[in-house]
This record gives sequence, C-alpha cells and structure tokens, in this order.
Amino acid sequence: MPVTNDTTDTTDHGTRAATGTRRPVPTAKVVVGLVAAVLAGVAVQLVGLPSGPTLFGTDLADLTTPVALFVALLLGSAVGVAGARAPWRVVDIVVASVLGVAGGLLFAVWNAFAYPVVSATVVPPVSAWYVGVWLLPGVLGGLVIRKPGAAVYTELVAAVLSALIGSSWGFSVVWYGLLQGLGAELVLAVFLYRWFRLPVALLAGAGAGLVVGLLDTFVYYPELTVPVQLAYIGLSIVSGVVVAGLGAWALTRALARTGALAPLRSGRDAERV
Amino acid sequence: MSLPTDVLAGPVGVDTGAPLARANPVAKLAVAAVLGLALVLTTDLVTVAVALAGVLLALPFAGLGPRALWRRGWVVVVAAVPSGVFTALLGVDSGDVVWAWSVGGATLLDVTTGSLQSGLAIALRILAIGLPGVVLLATTDPTDLADSLAQDLHLPHRFVLAGLAGMRLFGVLAEEWQVLTQARRARGLGGGGRWSRLRTLGGQLFALLVLAVRRATVLSTAMEARGFGAVRERTWARRSRFTARDWAVVLGGVALAVLATTVGVLAGTWRLALVG
Repeated sequence: MPVTNDTTDTTDHGTRAATGTRRPVPTAKVVVGLVAAVLAGVAVQLVGLPSGPTLFGTDLADLTTPVALFVALLLGSAVGVAGARAPWRVVDIVVASVLGVAGGLLFAVWNAFAYPVVSATVVPPVSAWYVGVWLLPGVLGGLVIRKPGAAVYTELVAAVLSALIGSSWGFSVVWYGLLQGLGAELVLAVFLYRWFRLPVALLAGAGAGLVVGLLDTFVYYPELTVPVQLAYIGLSIVSGVVVAGLGAWALTRALARTGALAPLRSGRDAERV
Repeated sequence: MSLPTDVLAGPVGVDTGAPLARANPVAKLAVAAVLGLALVLTTDLVTVAVALAGVLLALPFAGLGPRALWRRGWVVVVAAVPSGVFTALLGVDSGDVVWAWSVGGATLLDVTTGSLQSGLAIALRILAIGLPGVVLLATTDPTDLADSLAQDLHLPHRFVLAGLAGMRLFGVLAEEWQVLTQARRARGLGGGGRWSRLRTLGGQLFALLVLAVRRATVLSTAMEARGFGAVRERTWARRSRFTARDWAVVLGGVALAVLATTVGVLAGTWRLALVG
C-alpha cells in the first residue's frame, strides 16, 4: 500500500492509506452468495413447512417465517465466512485468548458473588434478564478482533476458564460457550466481517441471546408452559442486546480510545487524524 | 471468599491410575458430549434413569474418592435441584393435585403428580448430563487436554496453545488487580459512598482490561520472536496418544447413550423435547 510522505496529498487514496480506515469492497462472488442466501429464505417462505408436528406448542407451518429467516441467516453467514480473506495473525489469537480469560474472570466473579443474590430473588422467565452477562466476551471478541471465528473462540476460552474455576454448571458451560459464541458469530458473518457499528453489535448480542434462551429452555425448562418459555427466550434476547451488544460496543470503543488496540483492525479504525 | 488462581493445577485427590482417569482427555470429552446430546433430546424419566445408572456404575472406575467427587460434583447437584423444583411448581400440570397455593381464589402455584414426575426427571437429567463433565474436569490436567486437542483432535495448534497461554495469565491478572488496588489507594481513590466506590471499581476493572490487552500484544511479539505460529506442522515436547483403550472408553459412552435411548423408546416414554 503506497503511503506518501507528501502532507499536501489529500486525495481519497492517500488519506485512507494513512489512517488505515480502508474498508474492502465485497467481491462479486460474495454478493451473488448473499443474494442466493436471501433467495433460499424466500423459497422456504413461499413453499412453507408441513403442518402437523408442533414445536413450542405451535404448528410447524406457523413457524415458516422464523425458519425462513434462520435459513437465510445461516447461508448468509456461510458466505460471509467463506468470503472473508483475513488470516489470523499471532497477535489476533493472543489478544482474543486474553479477552477470553478476562471474560472468564468476569464469569467467575459474577458466578461467585452476584449470581447467588440475583438468582435467589427471581424465577424463570424473569430470571432471563441477566443472561447477557455470560454473552459479553463473545460479542466483545468479535468486535475487537474482527476475524471469522473470533466471537466463538473468545466465548469458548471464557467458558473453559469458567469450567476450570468451577461454577454451578460444571462442564456444561463449555457447550454453552461454544453455542453462545456461534449465535453472535452468525450475525457478524452475515455482515461479512466488514461492518462493526452499533446496530451490528446489538444484533450480535441478540443472536447470542436467542441461543442462550433456546438452550436454557431445552436443558433446564423443557417442561414449563409455552408462554413462560417464550417469555424467557424474549427476555434473553433483550438481555443479550443491552448487556452484551451495547456493553461490548461501548467497551470496544473505550479500549480503542486508550490505544491498546492499535495493532488490531478495530484499533486502526478508531485512530483520529 | 477468594477465587482460585491455580486454574491449571492438575487433578487433586484422584487415583490417576484408574482406567477412566488415565484415559485420553479427548476420549472423556467425547463421552461427555455424546451422553449430553442423547439426554438433551429427551426429558423422559426412563431414558434419564438408565443413563444416570450407567454413569453411576462407571464412577468407581474414574478413580475419584468420595471427597474428590464432592469437591467437583456438588455444583451439579446445586444446579439440578432448583430446576426440578421450578418444573414441579410451574410445569405443565396433569394428574392429581398434590399441593396448591392460592391467593383470593386464584391458584398461583400447584404441584401435581404429572409435574412432580417431570420435575424429578429434569433434576436427574441435569445430574446425568453433568456427571461425565465432573469426571472430565476432576481427572484431567488442562495441559494434557490442550496437548490432546491439538494432536489427537487436530484442532488448530496456534489457537489451542494461545488459549493455554492465556489461562496461565489468569494468575498474573489476579496479581495485577492487587497492584492496581494499591496504586489507586495511594492516589486516594476508592473512598466515599457506595456509588462512588462502585464507579471506582468499574474504572479499575477497565484498567485491568487495558493492561491485559497490552500484555497480550507484548506476549504475542515475544511468542513470534521465538517462532510461534511460523510453521504449519509443529513438533511436540509432550506426545499425546489415542490408543485402543481410549476407543473402548468412547464406545462405552456411545453404547450407554444408545442403550438409554433404546430403553426409552421401547418403554414408549421417549419423545423429542419441546416437539409435541
């Protein structure tokens, strides 16, 4: 990348190279892939699902729209991962690991001191309001590292550390961490690992919140009534958006301001001229 | 109450020569994964009871004494009981009412024979899902697990080793927290009312995060200077082997999952969770 020393060079190219805010344009292949993903979702919506079997007490045919959205999301994120040409450098891996360890510390402190208090005062579905705390490291890792798999890896490291320290869920937190990270990762992948502004961060938090809501319903509360289950999932999403999405976005901005993220893509975006 | 900082310490109070304790960490991980998956699919008492019985029969071969088992395993019991109670109270009701709590004629909470049975099934299910994980955590040295993940499961070694290096930083972070606290006290911060103290705590947590990220960038430079991540195939100081005995452990776990599901299906109680 040619960087000119000529300070009078204020052309678009020169300014971008100097500040490092160049954002790669999606290639034609990626655009075609995204369009195909959207078309697949539309196809599911048009064809519809068979009626008969029920999920959450709802006829499967009534769930056509969520399933269509999910298909489009899954295919779109696959395109995003395949189209992202961003190999991980050692500094990306180590910073992601350390963010994961910091997240594990957050889990440990929360599980030991705050969780016993809040869990004693609320029962499901209201107890979903604080699940976002466990989703923060994944979204943070995704926003800071900006590489495919960063959200999954960071959340997984945090979960493994949490399991090693010990919590009321034992080893199952590792599976939870893997899937919660995946929830945030899918959203970041759909945006092709190119957009990391506030709305994307909030959506990533929502993705992680949806996953943890579904998981808790499957593992801990499968025999509760359907309205309670749906309320639990909805509140999990809200918690993911507010605590994990907004929280991780604010933390990333604050971290970038200190200059600590300078070697990373997220830090370069934040540099001021 | 203080948090443990030696997260990478090996097994404590465990007979490391026991057949299941000696098994390859990835084999134990596979058993925990297979049993967990089989039990997440269903909530019926029969399948869960068979799986839990199998796990309990295998426990004596894990080399865990009662104290070591309780040290790691009490957490699963703590998770199982509240979920069972919630299900008994809030779950779908059927059969006779055993206990009810009404305010002004409206029944707020009630326990029926049906919801009591599903509550019991949920509690036992969490135990059966959790116990293999307890065995894995209690009998495995995290360093061995990392070696096995990279060499036997062929996960990307840069990520596995950097993750392990990050775990080692956990103790360092705890020390840095002490230093930060002292530095802030020297500056006269941290006094005042509850809110001002909470704000100081938030600032200190953020400072710790900044320190951790800066340390990570320095660490990565040092690791690269020593050639970390330079080659696709690396050599290993500690070899991990996946032997026929480890395959037997995996097969045992798969067999138990299949047996429990088959018994549940034959008894007519097995049904896919949440699908009616």
